[in-house]
Amino acid sequence: MAKIELQNIAHSYNPQAADKAYALNPFNMTWVDGGRYAILGPSGCGKTTMLNIMSGIVQPSEGKLLFNDVDVTKLSTSERNIAQVFQFPVIYGTMSVEQNLAFPLVCRNFEKAVIVAKVQEVAGALSLEGLLKKSASKLTADQKQLISLGRGLVRDDVAAVLMDEPLTVIDPDLKFRLRRQLKEINQKYRSTLIYVTHDQNEAMTFAENIIVMDAGSIVQVGSPSELFERPKTTFVGYFIGAPAMNFFECKLEGSHNVSFGGASIITETDLSKTGEATLKLGIRSEYIRIVETAGINTIKAQVQRVEDLGTHKLVSAIFDNQNVKIKVKRDQEVPLDSVSLEFPARHCCVYEKEQLI
Amino acid sequence: MNFKHKYLFLLPGLLVLLGILIFPIGFTVRLSLSSWDSFYPALDFIGLDNYVRLFTDDKRFWEAFGRLSLLSLTTVFLQYVIGFSLALMVWKEIVFQRFFRVLFLIPMMTTPVIMTVIWRTFFHESLGPVNDLLSYFDVTPLWLSSELLAKFTVILVEVWQWTPFMFLLLLAGLLSLPKEPFLAASIDGAGPIRTFVYVTFPLMAPISIGAIIIRLIEASKIMDTVYVLTSGGPGTATETSSFYIFIKGLREFQFGYSAALSFTYLIIMIISLTIIAKILVKLMVRGN
Repeated sequence: MAKIELQNIAHSYNPQAADKAYALNPFNMTWVDGGRYAILGPSGCGKTTMLNIMSGIVQPSEGKLLFNDVDVTKLSTSERNIAQVFQFPVIYGTMSVEQNLAFPLVCRNFEKAVIVAKVQEVAGALSLEGLLKKSASKLTADQKQLISLGRGLVRDDVAAVLMDEPLTVIDPDLKFRLRRQLKEINQKYRSTLIYVTHDQNEAMTFAENIIVMDAGSIVQVGSPSELFERPKTTFVGYFIGAPAMNFFECKLEGSHNVSFGGASIITETDLSKTGEATLKLGIRSEYIRIVETAGINTIKAQVQRVEDLGTHKLVSAIFDNQNVKIKVKRDQEVPLDSVSLEFPARHCCVYEKEQLI
Repeated sequence: MNFKHKYLFLLPGLLVLLGILIFPIGFTVRLSLSSWDSFYPALDFIGLDNYVRLFTDDKRFWEAFGRLSLLSLTTVFLQYVIGFSLALMVWKEIVFQRFFRVLFLIPMMTTPVIMTVIWRTFFHESLGPVNDLLSYFDVTPLWLSSELLAKFTVILVEVWQWTPFMFLLLLAGLLSLPKEPFLAASIDGAGPIRTFVYVTFPLMAPISIGAIIIRLIEASKIMDTVYVLTSGGPGTATETSSFYIFIKGLREFQFGYSAALSFTYLIIMIISLTIIAKILVKLMVRGN
């Protein structure tokens, strides 16, 4: 396994053009050896381009890629010693499961005894022991995807296992099991796992660190809780969490206060250096509380509808022509007309020009 | 819309189908049960006499069928190997890629009969340029009048004419393949031979089978090349089933008997091509 560094990496699909458009804007990034990462972002944000640059499928138009401080930018895919799992399972259909797992070692002329031992070990880790003699083409989609992963794990010297939306074709109940297996594998082999997805739930449950991307740029890197609690931009706030973070157009009122619709909201953010008069207040629907009486940090909103989502209720309300979403427990009674909502100060985030203050 | 209206809309299509497919086959079957020839041009009924004659007293037809099998299997095999090689050559980015892609298709765009006349001129044993050149080495092979070389010449012309068709189908197949299996093979460290054996060939198997079967159907009807190049000769050395049926029907005017030959030939071809397709699937699509 290796530490992977991306130094001023950028990619444009038309690098010669005068006004070249970047698929990936210049950035620096270090992937710690043995880390478990997820690259998260909407379709077309550049996450697959970033993964393909690391695997060597795409040559970056600018910057350097280092594996353990060695420049590998110009090396081919096979010379980089990485493993990649694609969106759709890639198996060698004419081979058995055992032959599939052994293939990377056979190609590298390992001794037979080493190959057998390694295949057994990886098959055990992936729960594929019983299927070793079976034809790979006869397996289910999730088993095939495990083989793709297994081919990456049989090599001890693999720098990182890159996964490009690997669970897309997997049934929801199996996704959970596979994610758990991936975590176990990461802990067992200390392999650097980099996982590309547009599903925030997958990213949040899998990764230690999440890289959120938008329009070719990295907008935030952090743990799932950091992304949830303190989104650095309004985009992250919208993108992470279900429902998305509530945002309200508001005005600066004091060193820690903002106001909108006649309500004053105290936050824990120091706003004394803020130049902008118009700001945005963000708060997660999970942290808004329905209270019986109006007090500090409360607003009086009109309830629009209450949806029972099985695990909780989602209340949609309107205040000052702005929508508010509140998550409450299933058994909580919600008034169907007006309701007082409390915004706890420590959960209020204030944004200036879409950036967290 | 009620049930009957559906048939009204289907009727034009059904009539065309009846006219162009079912009627000719039905008429051929009926004709095969008659003794219609130049002496007695009438649709009488002689039962299975023509078929009895075919199975008991027509060695020449079966010899022609054996020859056809040899010629068609050999030509299609060579077309597949050469066509696949050429398609692989221009599949990846190479210099003058477009030029080569068009160049390899030219033989298919030419008129087969005219090209066969040109080939016949090439291989003409006393006047052709091939023997003219070879005469410098004191060799003048009998390209069209030796039993073995005449077969070789027919195969050569057929391969030249129809390899581009195979090339076209296989190139289209290669261009439609997903790129991930190739990337995975590269990541796994597979070289070009392993990538071909374990990725390209298995992925191309369904397309290959389709292309081979299409060409086998076409090759089994081989007629114009033989007609122009050798007229089935020397003797009957290059006479194929379709050429033999042509002789019986349009030279000897034994319409009833040639209909029986045609129908028998059709049945044999359907059965043998089905068997060949199944064998190919078993051989080439091993994983499934």
